[in-house]
Amino acid sequence: MSSTGTAFDPQTLESLLTDGGKVLTAPDDLASYGCDWTRIYEPAPIAVVLPKSTEEVQAIVRFANEQHMALVPSGGRTGLSAGAVAANGELVVAFDRMNQILDFNASDRIVQCQAGVVTEQLQNFAEEQDLYYPVDFASAGSSQLGGNLSTNAGGIKVIRYGMSRDWVAGLKVVTGSGEILELNRGLEKNNTGYDLRQLFIGGEGTLGFITEATMKLTRQPTGLTVMVLGLNDLTNTMDVLQAFRNKLDLTAYEFFSHEAIQHVQQHAEVQSPFETEAPYYALLEFEAISDGVLEEAMGIFEQCVESGWVLDGVISQSEAQAEKLWQLRERISESIAPRTPYKNDLSVRVSRVPEFLQEIDSVVQKEYPDFEIVWFGHIGDGNLHLNILKPEDMEKAEFFRRCETVNDLVFGIVERYEGSVSAEHGVGMVKKKYLGYTKSEAEIAVMKGIKRVFDPNGIMNPGKLIDSE
Amino acid sequence: MKVLVAVKRVIDYNVKVRVKPDNTGVDLANVKMAMNPFCEIAVEEAVRLKEKGIASEIVAVTIGPKVSQEQLRTALALGADRAIQVETDDEVQSLDAAKMLKAVVDKEEPNLVIMGKQSIDTDNNQTGQMLAQLAGMPQGTFASEVEVEGEKVKVTREIDGGLLTVSLNLPAVVTTDLRLNEPRYASLPNIMKAKKKPLETVSPADLGVEAAPRLKTLKVEEPQPRQPGIKVESVEELVDKLKNEAKVI
Ligand SMILES: Cc1cc2nc3c(=O)[nH]c(=O)nc-3n(C[C@H](O)[C@H](O)[C@H](O)COP(=O)(O)OP(=O)(O)OC[C@H]3O[C@@H](n4cnc5c(N)ncnc54)[C@H](O)[C@@H]3O)c2cc1C
Ligand SMILES: Cc1cc2nc3c(=O)[nH]c(=O)nc-3n(C[C@H](O)[C@H](O)[C@H](O)COP(=O)(O)OP(=O)(O)OC[C@H]3O[C@@H](n4cnc5c(N)ncnc54)[C@H](O)[C@@H]3O)c2cc1C
Repeated sequence: MSSTGTAFDPQTLESLLTDGGKVLTAPDDLASYGCDWTRIYEPAPIAVVLPKSTEEVQAIVRFANEQHMALVPSGGRTGLSAGAVAANGELVVAFDRMNQILDFNASDRIVQCQAGVVTEQLQNFAEEQDLYYPVDFASAGSSQLGGNLSTNAGGIKVIRYGMSRDWVAGLKVVTGSGEILELNRGLEKNNTGYDLRQLFIGGEGTLGFITEATMKLTRQPTGLTVMVLGLNDLTNTMDVLQAFRNKLDLTAYEFFSHEAIQHVQQHAEVQSPFETEAPYYALLEFEAISDGVLEEAMGIFEQCVESGWVLDGVISQSEAQAEKLWQLRERISESIAPRTPYKNDLSVRVSRVPEFLQEIDSVVQKEYPDFEIVWFGHIGDGNLHLNILKPEDMEKAEFFRRCETVNDLVFGIVERYEGSVSAEHGVGMVKKKYLGYTKSEAEIAVMKGIKRVFDPNGIMNPGKLIDSE
Repeated sequence: MKVLVAVKRVIDYNVKVRVKPDNTGVDLANVKMAMNPFCEIAVEEAVRLKEKGIASEIVAVTIGPKVSQEQLRTALALGADRAIQVETDDEVQSLDAAKMLKAVVDKEEPNLVIMGKQSIDTDNNQTGQMLAQLAGMPQGTFASEVEVEGEKVKVTREIDGGLLTVSLNLPAVVTTDLRLNEPRYASLPNIMKAKKKPLETVSPADLGVEAAPRLKTLKVEEPQPRQPGIKVESVEELVDKLKNEAKVI
């Protein structure tokens, strides 16, 4: 559904915003608020509205229902699946002005945030309280809690701390029909039937708006130490993971190819970890709470070298070095962004990763001989980012068309391994037509039923995740 | 040629330092410690001299409590051949550190001493200079380039608005600035090997020096918190504020 019905009047909308919200219609604003990190669809929203309160969001939803207007929820617009894209004259509802931390309770260790609070803002707030918000990734400086939760974002600490979902103690939402719901109210235990909160987490704004989130915090990790290891072979990543995991609680286990490091180093001054050139690298992190833990980690490293899995390795000697080593991984996405990468975000169960990797690798090499491939990912979670870079001289449309022809092959393998076509980036528009590789027809039918309950007129983020009918 | 490198254990550069509530110092309990960044640069420079075949032996030295052996082990992993710890739990101020280093210099007779221009805990920027004076050696401080040429060392120093190059007779003291080099990471295989390298422990008394602090810290305070930024609605408002509030235009 695109915006139809009576002509849209920004002033009428603005008159409903009684707490100081704003409407933007300047072409620059429409262009920047109309798209996320993907650059596939041309932004074309009718207007952008920046509410200040949950009540204003409710007024906007009621207005949209009356006017038959489509709404696109928009957070930090760092999404990688075109979930926050308005390409069909929709009204963008952006949360930039709802960025307050409202309340903190030290004994409950929970913090009540508006949806527009930036991920890093919450991380910093937690640190000021001597606590820790563990969900983290390269876009944390721009992404918002509302967007994190609507995509159930994962990131680099999932192996230890889980996904965004695991940190939500309560949500305040406005449904597509204009109802304000308080879901779970910060309770640890609350077995009173369906937990509607979970439907909004990963809901990609198709059921309604998240306007507030009450998030859990935990103790700060101590002595975080980073190792970067050079690996001989793709499948060794899992041998090394097993070896470390048997004895240590890892807080991160990431993987990237040599090509990935080369892109990072062309883009920014980031030092090589060691002189030995390895085809693949693993970055692992753990809390070195005692010398014993460090000794243990060294011992495992030796064992990995003796087994022929690891060629060389470094370990951070300070927090400053740990941070520098992380740059090798954290800056990959931004370094390849200018090459319009086609991103696949695949996952399988950890035990199936080695075989899965080999199959995908051989298909990709066969089908994309002329394309540059960059591998990286949260491999400790069974999650791989397969990035195909656009050759400089190829048209965007032609490039995406070619990528899509291979998708069916790649996703066919994902389906056989009972994996996911979108591990942590969500479905949006980019992966919508491939949803069937991971979810059954019956599951998708139930999802559509749920959507009808929350959003009977289909105004919430139409065209994303599933088609409402 | 023998190179002596001094390294110091300090609060990790990345740690947000907290002042103790009674303002007597900063809180060191459970705080991550690491090698002073300028000392890392000093070690790296020595290792590069060895890789070029100029240095034949690198001796790392530190003054501090037993745990500061960790930083010596790091220096050994990075390429030092052996290490000396002057073990003391007392506070060691610059002049005492320089005296102890002078005693080590007398014993080891290095051709070149490389050390950081300052340590990031007390920021004194004087130990290298004091050592040069006590040992009667020429000094090249704030080095951004070091070139050994026969019996001389050429040191490029960063000064306001330009570079100053000095040539010193060896033996000499060089202190490192940030741009001298980018230190490498300690590789895991080298960390293992470093465990077997010799590390000798001596006391200040062995060196004939007694630590005698001459300065007393009266008070340590947090810097003034920065004023948060504001958003202006228009260019006119911005100009007005710059003129009348900030008074910068
Ligand atoms: C460099 C880079 C690295 C990344 N790394 C990771 C990673 O490691 N792990 C990972 O999981 N993701 C990663 N991402 C993608 C990730 O999904 C986003 O960074 C983030 O979680 C999305 O937040 P956002 O506020 O930018 O959401 P947006 O892109 O603005 O929106 C995402 C979706 O949420 C909806 N939405 C936004 N706000 C609301 C709201 N208040 N109510 C209802 N719906 C809403 C939008 O409609 C859209 O469907 C990365 C992205 C980049 C650019
Ligand atoms: C001594 C005692 C101590 C207890 N301590 C705790 C405690 O510490 N914590 C706690 O959480 N609970 C506790 N309970 C209650 C707890 O809910 C049950 O012990 C247990 O979880 C229920 O399992 P059940 O198989 O007996 O379920 P039932 O009593 O048989 O059924 C519970 C519900 O589940 C439904 N149900 C059962 N099987 C299925 C199925 N296969 N598919 C769909 N629906 C199904 C039933 O229709 C019913 O609605 C305790 C109970 C007792 C008697």
